[in-house]
Amino acid sequence: MRSTGTKLLFAGVAIASLLAACGSDSESGSGGGEAITLAVNPWTGSAVNAYVAQAVIQANLGTTVKITEIDENATWVGMDDGSIDAVLEVWPSGHAADKKTYIEEKKSVVDMGLLGPKAKIGWYVPKFVIDEHPELATWEGFKDPELAKLFATAESGDLGQFTMGDPSYVTFDEQIIANLKLPLKYVVAGSEAALLTLIDQSAADKKPILIQFWQPHWKQSKVELVEVKLPDVTQECLDSAANADGGYACDYAVDDLFKAASAKLETKNAAAFNVLKKLSLTTDQQNEVAAMIDGEGMAPADAAKKWADANKDVWSAWLG
Amino acid sequence: MAAVSVETLPEQESAAVVDARRNRRNVAFGVFALLAVLAVVIEHEVPGWLDLDIQQRAQAAYKWTITNRQTSPLFTLFLEPVGNVLQWMFDVVMNVLEFLKWPGLVALTGAIGWRTGGLRAGIGGASAMLGVGMISNWDHAMITLAIMLVAVFIALVLGIPLGIWTSRSDRAERVVRILLDTAQVLPIFVYFSPVQVFFGIKVPPAIVVTVIYALPPAVRLTNLGLRNVPVVMNEVGESFGANSWQQLLKVQLPVARKAILLGLNQVIMMAFGVVVLASLLGTGDLGQDVLNALQKQKVGEAAAAGLGIVLLAISLDRITTGDRKHQFSRWSNLVPKVSRQAGQRIAVGLVAVVVLLAHVFDWTTFPSWLTIDVAAPINDAVTWVQDNFHDITQAISDFLVTNVIDPIYKFLLWLPWFLVVVAIAFIGFLSKGWRLATGVGLCMVLTAALGTIPGGVGRERIWDIAMNTLSQVLVAILLSVLIALPLGILAGRSDAFERFMRPFLDIAQVLPAFVYLIPVVFLFGVGRSAGVVACVIYAVPPCIRLTTLGMREVPYTPREAAISFGATGPQEMRMVQLPLARKSILLGINQTLMMVLATVIIAALIGAGGLGLVAYEATAKPNIKLGQGVTGGLAIVLLAIMLDRITQAWGTSKQGGNHQ
Repeated sequence: MRSTGTKLLFAGVAIASLLAACGSDSESGSGGGEAITLAVNPWTGSAVNAYVAQAVIQANLGTTVKITEIDENATWVGMDDGSIDAVLEVWPSGHAADKKTYIEEKKSVVDMGLLGPKAKIGWYVPKFVIDEHPELATWEGFKDPELAKLFATAESGDLGQFTMGDPSYVTFDEQIIANLKLPLKYVVAGSEAALLTLIDQSAADKKPILIQFWQPHWKQSKVELVEVKLPDVTQECLDSAANADGGYACDYAVDDLFKAASAKLETKNAAAFNVLKKLSLTTDQQNEVAAMIDGEGMAPADAAKKWADANKDVWSAWLG
Repeated sequence: MAAVSVETLPEQESAAVVDARRNRRNVAFGVFALLAVLAVVIEHEVPGWLDLDIQQRAQAAYKWTITNRQTSPLFTLFLEPVGNVLQWMFDVVMNVLEFLKWPGLVALTGAIGWRTGGLRAGIGGASAMLGVGMISNWDHAMITLAIMLVAVFIALVLGIPLGIWTSRSDRAERVVRILLDTAQVLPIFVYFSPVQVFFGIKVPPAIVVTVIYALPPAVRLTNLGLRNVPVVMNEVGESFGANSWQQLLKVQLPVARKAILLGLNQVIMMAFGVVVLASLLGTGDLGQDVLNALQKQKVGEAAAAGLGIVLLAISLDRITTGDRKHQFSRWSNLVPKVSRQAGQRIAVGLVAVVVLLAHVFDWTTFPSWLTIDVAAPINDAVTWVQDNFHDITQAISDFLVTNVIDPIYKFLLWLPWFLVVVAIAFIGFLSKGWRLATGVGLCMVLTAALGTIPGGVGRERIWDIAMNTLSQVLVAILLSVLIALPLGILAGRSDAFERFMRPFLDIAQVLPAFVYLIPVVFLFGVGRSAGVVACVIYAVPPCIRLTTLGMREVPYTPREAAISFGATGPQEMRMVQLPLARKSILLGINQTLMMVLATVIIAALIGAGGLGLVAYEATAKPNIKLGQGVTGGLAIVLLAIMLDRITQAWGTSKQGGNHQ
């Protein structure tokens, strides 16, 4: 079938690969204990935290810190089996079920405390909508079917369209619309990218949109969006969310971003574990690094290193 | 007398046969009419007792898996080792790629292509590989390549024996076919989270997902190739006293080689089709570059990474198809002919020298002076299209939703559910008979039995959501066929037009759907129209291809005969070429359908909703919604099997029946 030449070719490759295979795979942290892996979820803030942690830990503990870019849900599975050691920015609203399963029940993941910045999900409209119809600054404005119709599309017919982005984010919007009896139709755009494109399209055409959006987000500095005031958060509302009884009728609660780690990390590398537990950043500090990445196009690792060099006083507190 | 009776006897007989057939047909029509009346009389909505309770079972199974994945022997003794082996295979391939360095890999690609497919294949493969580095991130491309190579290898190791088995047993074929259909149509979103808890994160589950998706063509084409081995060949083997194994290895497999190679080509294409989705598992490869760019709305960067994936696929395709027909093209005249043996030695020597040089000069990172920026021009082009066309596309989008998709959807919902079942079974009966009628009817009843899922407020019926998706699928197929048939017919009659179309078709087929989702959203808005457009973009190329192929396979003799009888060109096309190409065109429609069903799921990411969104929620919130995702995924599989079997029956049963 095959001539000797081809065999030779394959044999050469095989030998070469064995040689290569033996050569590598022996890298381990020199002196700083076992290498650790931090997850980066697909938004800039998440990258800022992880790369700052990497810069600080590698320089001061000598531990190798690997970074894995990964989906949020996969992050929890990874922490469960220890292939990911920690994630430094979890938005609690979207992960109530993961928290219950992995932190409270299975205890394979541990809560590492708050990161610092707060986040807030809400209803947003472009600023030009409020300029023209100031009454739409609060939810009561949307009770008027004529005003709601400004947001009508082919998909929503006579109702106004409310658009939600990625289904993996927490959403009470359908319940809020039903319980506040608003003439709106809930439509799922399906992804953050589609939602962002919708925002651009709206800005280009001056076409009103009503969306679920959040702070902090890089898009907030590019397009003027105004948060619509929803009824204040009440205990009754929070209870309704916890019981999933469909009665939610208020604003989203403020998210205190927190850190989580694999339960195996403490025994694997106690020094790194302690640094991660103490690590915290303010919103401004996070934004400072994010601006270098998004605005100036710096690589996340370089931006983090630059910030760490200039802010020794901040991170030296994490080492003690 | 005797002569007359001999003449009339067959006539009477055939009349009796016709009568009997007519009677059976009347009975059948009666049965369907009765069922239809019944459907209108009984409950209009799917009754609550018709619920297989799959949702809770699937959710409970997932929960059990999460709780026991470190302790149960299923994991410690089986799945974990499998995951480790996959990781090891990946590491080995990565080490080879790192050892070769980029010049070595380009040279190796060229050498393999040259030896298996001729100089042209070698140059094509090598330049495609070089192109990967020029337009996208080389290191990330190597991760994609390693995952693909391992997955394709495993798909062949599993697929070819399965294909051999199914070629020898009709029963095995029927069972395996349903499993393969499921593997091909079940949305990846449904098993995305389970493969993570089964095999861990990053590379091993990505390989598993790719294998599931890429396996079917390996089985199908091996099966097909072996079944098409002429009986004479087998008899020759037998007469030489070959036993079953010898028969397989020495006669059947070599004869089926072409089909199996085509299977390999399809395996590669399918595998590359899931690169972007698989990268959600944290592979850090080109697929992830696409997703990250989209997250920041950088369409040009996403397209560059996407084109990198396309070039990688083309490169592998060129060097594995082993198509020697170009061997003696004008290219090969430029180099002196060498013997086979000498050629192999030259190839090995060349690769060795290049690798040696790469090590001596440490050509590890892909040089930046070789890279070209394709993102900026693509961004400009997309912006231009968006600015200039979006008024008209928005109008089309609104028209589609208001006047086409919504009316069909509302009509399907307005119909009593069982009437839909009966109507589809009736179509099945007309297409092939009772067997198909029962099969497709059962598919629909099972869809109804998938129960309800919790919505934001109250519960939603899977049946209703399935009707939403069905309405989108029907519209997408209709549009695809309307666009593809004329283009395919044109390409079938004009070589120049076919050559002009080819690169567009290649790119549209392999470019990850994700790359064009954003421009589609900008042009058509978030919603079902955008979803239908995405489906059409993806489904049109195979339909054009198969139509063209069908037109070109029509033998020249009947066409010539028609022309000699005075038929004009268009007449000849309408009366001779098109009817004879019918089978291939119908197969094209069947393929279109499968593409539409695959894309209608991804369309949920741009607002199409329906079953795709239900399935996607299994990936988005596995801890709460995996069970409902499974029901949504099964509904898609059932719809797909129903539509596939009916359209396939059109392509096979009534062949030649409709000639004027």
